[in-house]
Amino acid sequence: MDLLGSLALGLGVALTLQNLLYCFLGALLGTLVGVIPGLGVLAAISMLFPLTFHLEPTTALIMLAGIWYGTTYGGSTASILLNLPGTPANAVTCLDGYPMAKQGRGGIALFMTTVASFFGASFGIILLTLFTPVIAEYALRFGSAEYFALMLMGLVASSTISEGSAIKGLAAVTMGIIIGLVGMDTQTATIRFTFGNLGLLEGISLIALAMGIFGVAEIIMSIRRVHAADIDPESVKLKAIVPTRDDVGRSWFPMLRGASIGSFFGTLPGTGPSIAAFISYAIEKRVSKSPERFGNGAIEGIMGPESANNAADQTAFIPTLSLGVPGSATMALMLGVLMIHGVAPGPNLISDEPELFWGLIMSFWVGNIILLLLNIPLIGVWVRMLTIPYHLLYPAVLMFICLGAFTSGFSALNIWMVAGFGALGYAMRIFRFPGAPLLLGFVLGPLMEEHFRRAMVLARGDFAVFFERPISAVIMAITGLVLIWGVWSSEHLRAKRGARALEREAARRAAHHPEQEAPDGQN
Amino acid sequence: MKKIMAALAVALGLATPLAAQDWPSGTVTIVVPYSPSGNTDIFARHMAPYLEEKWGQSVVIENRPGGGSMVGTALVSQAEPDGLTLLMTTSAYVTAPAIQPDLPFDPRTDLEPVANVGYVSYILVTQGDSKFNTLEEFVEDSKQNPKFAATAGLGTTTHFAIERFIAQSGANFDVVHFKGGGPAVVAILSGEADIYGSSVSSAGGNIASGKIKVLAVLGNERIAALPDVPSTKELGYPETEIHQWVGVFAPGGTDADIVAKINADINEVLRNEEFIATVTPLDWTLEQSTPEGFAAEIDQELTGWKELAESQGISR
Repeated sequence: MDLLGSLALGLGVALTLQNLLYCFLGALLGTLVGVIPGLGVLAAISMLFPLTFHLEPTTALIMLAGIWYGTTYGGSTASILLNLPGTPANAVTCLDGYPMAKQGRGGIALFMTTVASFFGASFGIILLTLFTPVIAEYALRFGSAEYFALMLMGLVASSTISEGSAIKGLAAVTMGIIIGLVGMDTQTATIRFTFGNLGLLEGISLIALAMGIFGVAEIIMSIRRVHAADIDPESVKLKAIVPTRDDVGRSWFPMLRGASIGSFFGTLPGTGPSIAAFISYAIEKRVSKSPERFGNGAIEGIMGPESANNAADQTAFIPTLSLGVPGSATMALMLGVLMIHGVAPGPNLISDEPELFWGLIMSFWVGNIILLLLNIPLIGVWVRMLTIPYHLLYPAVLMFICLGAFTSGFSALNIWMVAGFGALGYAMRIFRFPGAPLLLGFVLGPLMEEHFRRAMVLARGDFAVFFERPISAVIMAITGLVLIWGVWSSEHLRAKRGARALEREAARRAAHHPEQEAPDGQN
Repeated sequence: MKKIMAALAVALGLATPLAAQDWPSGTVTIVVPYSPSGNTDIFARHMAPYLEEKWGQSVVIENRPGGGSMVGTALVSQAEPDGLTLLMTTSAYVTAPAIQPDLPFDPRTDLEPVANVGYVSYILVTQGDSKFNTLEEFVEDSKQNPKFAATAGLGTTTHFAIERFIAQSGANFDVVHFKGGGPAVVAILSGEADIYGSSVSSAGGNIASGKIKVLAVLGNERIAALPDVPSTKELGYPETEIHQWVGVFAPGGTDADIVAKINADINEVLRNEEFIATVTPLDWTLEQSTPEGFAAEIDQELTGWKELAESQGISR
C-alpha cells in the first residue's frame, strides 16, 4: 500500500464517530491531568487502563495516546501560572513562563506554548509517519539476540538517564524484573514465586502495579505537599493573548530546534519528553545572544522546551510500534493494551493491523487539533481547575483506582495488590527510588528472559553471540557506555549537589530563614 | 458481585435447573493459549461471530500464550466453572503432559472436554529464498550443517511432529521453542530458524507471496489446499503422519447441561456452509463430536503420547 493510501485509510479510521469521541475524551482528560500539578500521566493512564478493555484496541490506544500527549499541552498552564510544573516534562517551562506571568504576559505565554506544542507535535507526527514503516521493515533482521540487547539498553537507559541516582534506578529496574518473575515461566510453564497462591499463577497484575506505584503513591505523597493554589489575578488576565511581533520573530528557531531535539530524544529509550525539554532549554540559552534574559521571561525559554516535549511524545511511538519495544513506562502500558486485545506488537504490526497503525497515527493529528481548540479558547476553564481543593479531588481519584483495580479481574486480590504497591511506591518516593524503571523492568523482564533463553539455544550456549552479531554488538556497546556515563554523571552530580546543599544549609542558618520546599517531578 | 449473585441463586434453589437455560448470562471468554495469528487463534476468531449470534452475548477471544500452551490451559482450569470462560486449544493438551510432569492441573479431571472441532495437517516450511528446493536436499545438508527447527512451544504438537520427523529421517535439527505458530513463522521469515512444521493457516499469505517455501506435507497423503506439495510418505518417510486437532474445553465441574448446550451450538456452527467455506482453504477438516466421545479420545491419547515420549526419549 502506498503512503497516501495508508494515510487515507488511517484518516477514515480516526474520523469514525466513536474514535473521534474517544480521541476528544483522551485529549480532554490529558489536559485536565496535565493542568493539575502532582497528577501525572502514568497515574492517569494506569487508572483508565481497565476502562479500555471494553473498547476496540484502536479506540483504546487512541484514547490513551490522547491522554499522553494531552498532558504535555496542559502541563504548561500550571508551570506558567503557579510556578509548579503540571508534569515533569513541563518543569523547565516554569523558568521563563512564570516570570512572564508575573510581568502580566501570562496570556501570551499560554497562547505561545500551545502554538509551540502544536508545532512540535506536528513535526514528531511527520517523522513518525515516515520512519516507523522503514524501521519495521528493517526489524525482520532482528533476531532474539538483538531484541535482548535492545531491551537491555532500554532498561539501562531508563534507569540511569532519569533524574536522580543511577544506582537507585538500576535497583528499581531489578526489582521490576523480580516482580515480573512471579507466575508461570513462559518457556516451560514452571511455577515461580507464587507461594502456593493460585491467584498469582498468572503473575502480578500490571494494572495493580501501575496504579499502586504511580496512582496511590502519588496521592499519599501529595497529602503533605500540595495545597490549592492562590492565583494572582493579575497574572491570568487574558486581555493580552496576542503576542507581539518581537515574540513571534524570536519563536521560530527555538521551535524548530526544540522539535528536532525532541524528536531525537523521544525515540531513544529512557529519555523522553522531560529530558528533551531540559536539553532544549540548555541549548536555547547557549545559542542566545542575550543569555541573561533567560530566567526573566525570555520567550525562547518556553518555546523550545514546549516544542521539544511534544515532539518527543509523538516520536516515542516509533520504537513501540515498529519493534514492539517500549522506551518508557507509558509506552509499556500502551503495549500492554495491545497485548490484552490480542494484537501482537512487533515488526508485523503495520502489515497485519494497518487500520490500527494508520488510524492511531491519523488520530494524533485529530487529537492535536482538538488540543489546540481546547487550549486556546478554553484557557480560562483550565485556569479555574487549578483552584479545586485537593481534599475533594484526591479521595475521588483514590475511589476510581479501587474500582478500576477490582473490575479489571473481578478479584479482591487486585485491591490488596494496589494497596501493597501503593505502600511500596510511597516508600520508593521517600527514599527517592524512581518508579518508572520498575514498571519498565516488570514489563520487559519476561520478554527479555524469553529472548535471552532463545538466543542461548540458537547460539548453542555461547554468550559471545550478543557481541558477535553486528547489530547486537553495537547496541551492547551503547548500553555499556550509557551505563558507565549514567552512573558516573549521577554520582558526580550527587557529590556536587551535596556540596551545594551544605553551602545552602550554612547560608540558611546564617539568615534564619526557612527554606521553601522545591516542587518535585513525579516521573 | 457475580459470586454473590450466584450464591443467592444457589440459596434459593434455582441454580441447577435453570443453569443451562440461562446460560450464557454474560460475556463468554474463549482463552486461546497461543499468540495471536497462529492457527488456533485464527480459527477461534472466525468462529466467534457465529457463536455471538447464536448466544446473544459477546464472545471475546483472549490470548494467553506461554509454556507451550500450558499457561493459558492452567488458567482456564482455575476459572469459575460457569461456562463463561472456555478454552480453545490444540492437541498440545495431550502431548505437553507427556513431557511436562509438574503441571499445576490434571488434564483428565481439571477440565471438561466439550467439543473436538476438527484437525489440520502440518507442512514443513523454510525461507522462500532458501537454496533448498526439496526436503531430501535439506535433510542431507543438515547432516553437515545442523539446522534450527522452530516449534510453537515445548510439548506442542509441532514439537512432537518435528521430533518424530528427526527420528525417522536422521536429520540434524536443533529444536527452538517460540510462543505459538505466529512467532515461529516470523522466525522463519527472519531466517532465525530454518524449518518449521507449520499449519497452512499459520503460514498464511506468505506461501502465496513466495516468502515461505513449502517442502512437504507431514503425512501419508497430499492435501487439497496445496496439491503440488509432496507428502513425506511419498518422499520415503513412512511414519511421519501427524494431525493437530483443535478442541474446546470448560473448567472442571461445569454443569453437564451447559457442556451439552455448548457442544450442540459449536457442532451447529461447524455445519454452517458459510463457515465451512471460510476455513476450508486453511486446510481444516471439521468434525462433529460429543463431549463423551472427545473425553474418551483424550484419555487414550494422553496415555499414547506419554508412551511415545518415553520410547523416543523426547523431553524438555
